Amino acid sequence: MKIVFDHIVPEPLKEYPHAADSLWNNKHVIENGQKVLINAASGKGKTTFTHLLAGLRHDYQGELSFDSAATHTFSVSDWLEIRQTKFSFVFQDLQLFPTLSSEENLLINTRLKGGMPIEKLKEWAAYLGIETKWNTPAGIMSMGQQQRLAILRALSQPFETIVMDEPFSHLDEHNTRLAISLIEERCKELSAGLILTTLDPTDKISVDKEIKL
Amino acid sequence: MLKKLLFRNQDKKQLGFAAIGALLGMTFLITSAHFLYRINEFGEGSEVLGANILILQRKVTSASTFNLSNNDFTAEEISEIQQQPFVEKVQAVKSNNFRVWLETNSDLVPPFKTDAFIQSIDKEFLDANASNWAWSPESKELPIIMPRDFVVMLNTFMSSAGIPQISDEVATSIPFKLRISGPKGEEWLNARIIGFTNEISALLVPMEFMNYANSKYGENQDGKITQVIIKGKEGQFGSLEKYLNEKGLEPKKAQMIVGRLKSIISTLILIVLVVSIVAVISSVLVLLQYMHLLLSQNRYEVKTLLRIGYSPYYIARHFIQYFSIVFAVSLIAAFGLFFILKWWINKTLQIGGIYLNEDLSIIAVIILPISFLLFVGVGTFSARKNVMQLFNK
Repeated sequence: MKIVFDHIVPEPLKEYPHAADSLWNNKHVIENGQKVLINAASGKGKTTFTHLLAGLRHDYQGELSFDSAATHTFSVSDWLEIRQTKFSFVFQDLQLFPTLSSEENLLINTRLKGGMPIEKLKEWAAYLGIETKWNTPAGIMSMGQQQRLAILRALSQPFETIVMDEPFSHLDEHNTRLAISLIEERCKELSAGLILTTLDPTDKISVDKEIKL
Repeated sequence: MLKKLLFRNQDKKQLGFAAIGALLGMTFLITSAHFLYRINEFGEGSEVLGANILILQRKVTSASTFNLSNNDFTAEEISEIQQQPFVEKVQAVKSNNFRVWLETNSDLVPPFKTDAFIQSIDKEFLDANASNWAWSPESKELPIIMPRDFVVMLNTFMSSAGIPQISDEVATSIPFKLRISGPKGEEWLNARIIGFTNEISALLVPMEFMNYANSKYGENQDGKITQVIIKGKEGQFGSLEKYLNEKGLEPKKAQMIVGRLKSIISTLILIVLVVSIVAVISSVLVLLQYMHLLLSQNRYEVKTLLRIGYSPYYIARHFIQYFSIVFAVSLIAAFGLFFILKWWINKTLQIGGIYLNEDLSIIAVIILPISFLLFVGVGTFSARKNVMQLFNK
């Protein structure tokens, strides 16, 4: 999916000056299947950026369009289609269901959208080292385990672009490397793009483009 | 899984109270609507007097009680009434000038005998289907129209004697004997009830019989005319009432026991119906309020479902399905309770001599789907609105 940011300025960032290469208040295009790193310090709008793509906030100036269609014209069903088949998200606050087990957190997603068979999900959980937490409620898992579960959930559905907001912030280097390899493998399988926001420019993921906020 | 996510952790006490509220409200609503319908139709089917009929008499005062004023109608007065533009027809109600006794004439019912007072009116004041309203000295049976109060009284007698009471249908099949006597002799006639009326408190007989009996057994030919019957013109009862007040006349209808009873019971039931509607609305509001509470308790879960792509309508449907099942269970239980209440109220009324149709009324059946559809409609609107608010946040 081709994403165009045409002089977007979110309301909370209206008062701040934006650099000439910033995503905000400039025109930026993310092509279909492109891998993009959004690198910025805290408070620069990384989460706002993710929420704009998910259609969770609409308080901005400028125009955002997906495949040449302006998002401000989108209906409820348009946004549902985007969330179900176009984008897959790893939100910064993970958005897991704390009372449901790992298995249920994954199934509640794949049952809606189709996708991974349960054996494959178990295999991936084992790869990321959370297979022992299969029946454990997400709410009592560690932040690192929850982060890996949220990555698994995002990978389990069909998508054209995966959007991840600081997905490795609670992972050690080893687990980060495992997660990145799984993400890259899945993106390759689906010929999908990737958008990663991060505080840490050393995140070892290969990208086509880096955008500043 | 969605059910587990959204409905597992809830305090069901409030849900239970709301469901009990809906159950009681719906029980009273169905019961009161059913009985309002049945009470209003009570006696309608067998009422033989036509529409727009009024029986008039002078207002009874202390002076008239002690014969200090005259309660009779003169020929001039009757003629004056006839000339009023809102009166289609007026006629003196003829009464008997001889003694009358009525008694049952069948082994199937217990012997019952009473003094009676008879009056007569023309066929044109009766309902169109009272076709057998005729008599001649050769007739085998005398058709009579019975005041409904008489059936209530008869049933009260039956009840106190421990005898099964009779319905309108049974009463019309009982053969009676009428004994008339005067200074010139006496006569026995077979009689049969052909219908009932709430309007007149005497036994009604055809005019031909009254003329025959008055001339043969009466003490004097022309009795005093204390009542007249009027057939008013359609839609002009307002003018008629004004005229009656000016002339010191009152409609006999207002004094009838069954009429008053129907009116009092109907009013009481109407009050219960209004209270029931308020109770149902309150309990539905409590149910919907609880749904909102559940939605706000699960605000995070609902928002997350929306974020991962669940449709707001699909989520709202889960909530309304859950509460529709709760409401449907309350409705079914209310219908069961209604049957018990219906049986008890019918038995109680029968002890007082009032036989209502015991069949399930159409209104009681219709209320169920209407209430359910209204609940689902309002609930769907409310749940969608709430979930959409979260979708747009």
